[in-house]
Amino acid sequence: MFPTLDPLLHSELRLAVMSLLVSAEEAEFPYIKEQTGATAGNLSVQIDKLSAAGYIEVEKTFKGKKPCTLCRITPTGLKAFEDYVESLKSYLIR
Amino acid sequence: MEENSNMTAERSLAIITEQIEKNRRAVSKTLGQSLYISGLCIMATSVLVAIINFLSMSSGMVGIGHLLWFLLPVAIWFFSRKYIKERAHRPTNMVGQMVAKTWQTFAIFSLGFFIIAIVCTAILFPMMTTAEYSVVQIRVAPIIVLLMGMAIAMNGQILNQRWLVWFGAVAGLLCFVWEHFEVLTWLLVHCLPLKPYEASVFMSTLPCVTIFIFGFVGLLLPGMMLKKQAV
Repeated sequence: MFPTLDPLLHSELRLAVMSLLVSAEEAEFPYIKEQTGATAGNLSVQIDKLSAAGYIEVEKTFKGKKPCTLCRITPTGLKAFEDYVESLKSYLIR
Repeated sequence: MEENSNMTAERSLAIITEQIEKNRRAVSKTLGQSLYISGLCIMATSVLVAIINFLSMSSGMVGIGHLLWFLLPVAIWFFSRKYIKERAHRPTNMVGQMVAKTWQTFAIFSLGFFIIAIVCTAILFPMMTTAEYSVVQIRVAPIIVLLMGMAIAMNGQILNQRWLVWFGAVAGLLCFVWEHFEVLTWLLVHCLPLKPYEASVFMSTLPCVTIFIFGFVGLLLPGMMLKKQAV
C-alpha cells in the first residue's frame, strides 16, 4: 500500500516554492517568481494556500519605499515537506 | 510552472532537486560576487595606501596612507550596491551568512584596534622618549595580519576548502612573526646595505604587499571559485 501524498505539496508550483524555501532561510516574492518561472498572480494564489495551511509565513514589509513580501518556511511546513519526501521514497523504491 | 496535481514521483523529485540546485547556485553567485568585490577593494586600497605612504615620506608624514583603511568598509559597501544589482531579492543561506559575519567581525576588530592604536600613539608619543616609546608602542600590522589569517582560515572551514584553511593559518602566523619580530628591519640592517630612506620605503610598503596578497588569496580567489561554481 502506498502512503498518501500531501495534496497541498503534490502540485508543481507549491512543491517548487517549498523546495526553494527549504534551502533558503527566507526569500522575497520576486526571487521565488524568478526561480519558479511562475506568473505573479498564480504564485500569489499558491503562496496564500501554503500560508493558510501554516506551511509558510508571509511577512509584508517595506524596503525603503517599495513594498516587500518575505516568505519563510515554518516548522509545520518543514515537517510536511520531510513527510512528503519520505512518502515519495516509497513510490520510487517499489 | 503550472498548477499540476497529477505528477509522478519522479517528476516531484526532479522539481525538488532542480529548485534546491537553482537556489544553491543563486546563493553561491551572490556570495562569490561579494567576496570578489571585497577582494578587489582590499587589493586596490593596499596599492593606494602604498603609493600614498611612498609619496608622503618626503614630507615626513610616515604611514599617513594607512588612514585610508578606514574607508575600506565604505568602499566595499558602495561597490557591492553598485555591482550586485539583483542582490535586492537574493536569499542567503547559513554558509553565506557565516562568511559575511566572519568578515564583519574581522572588520570590527581590526578597525577598533586601529583606532585604539592611533589614540594610544597620540597620547603616548608626546609623553615619552623614543626609547621608551619603542617598547610600549602598539604595533598594528602583526595583529591585523593575524586577524586576517584567522578570518581566511575560518572561511576555508565554512566553505570546506582545505587550501584556504592552510593558507590562512600558515600565512597569518608567519606574517605575524615576520611583522612582530621585525624580521624585515633585522634583514635590512644586517643583510641589505640600504640607506635609511630606502629602508623606510620598504618598511612602510611591505604590510600593504602582505594585505594585497591576503586579499587576493583569501577573498578574490574564493569569490572567483564560487562565481564559477554558480555558472
